Amino acid sequence: MSTFYLLVSAALFALGAYGVLARRSAILVFMSVELMLNAANLALVVFARGLGSASAQAVALLLIALAAAEVAVGLALVVAIYRTRESTLVDDLSELKG
Amino acid sequence: MIVFNLLAGALLLLTGFLSVYLRNAVHAALALAANFVVMGTVYMVLQARFLGWVQIIVYAGAIMVLFVFVIMLLYAAQAEVGVDPLPWMRRAAAGVALAGFLALAYAFSAARSALGDKAATALLQGGTARVLGPVLWDEWRYPVMLVAALLFVATVAAVALLRPGRGTA
Repeated sequence: MSTFYLLVSAALFALGAYGVLARRSAILVFMSVELMLNAANLALVVFARGLGSASAQAVALLLIALAAAEVAVGLALVVAIYRTRESTLVDDLSELKG
Repeated sequence: MIVFNLLAGALLLLTGFLSVYLRNAVHAALALAANFVVMGTVYMVLQARFLGWVQIIVYAGAIMVLFVFVIMLLYAAQAEVGVDPLPWMRRAAAGVALAGFLALAYAFSAARSALGDKAATALLQGGTARVLGPVLWDEWRYPVMLVAALLFVATVAAVALLRPGRGTA
């Protein structure tokens, strides 16, 4: 059972990585990042169960709080960019490229 | 139990795939919310009941509502349409994702022998708040304070970024 959920976690992380690279809207990129964070959390919970460690669950809880902070700032940035650029597509934000 | 695990795993993969595949942002957000709910139930089965409820309330509740709110606020009219400016990017992303999956699966298979200890699992006693609370407020008190400060700073930053009259520059 542990191995099965670890594989699911790896697959979800890979799906999230694909989304981060392939998605063109900043909001959908963010959602893919959330998927990756959740995959890491699932791995933490599986390891907590296998090792009998409540500390691993504490780390998972702190990760959820970190994700909430990240979403607040990230979505504020997306809205701020949309106000000035009228776009949330990451391809439209290319001024900094070399 | 095996039926639940297979079903939950299949649902997690399906909703995860849909959330990166669907073009409509609202549909993708709903798929992701479903993914988070299933993930919460999986946490409860994996001896992490408190985390499971936190996952459902904070992730599927608060965070996804925030996402849907922002999508509705400014995105509903602007989907991912038209020609992809970087057509090779999808194939490259699929390659990176596959490599990442294989690397993770290899790393997890190396750690597998440490798992599956029934005596160790019994120590968690279901992972209720009664078990997790003392650990959080003793061993992890400084990280908890740091994360609390970080949440506060993030909230102030979000408000400061969007306060009216900030100009358009």
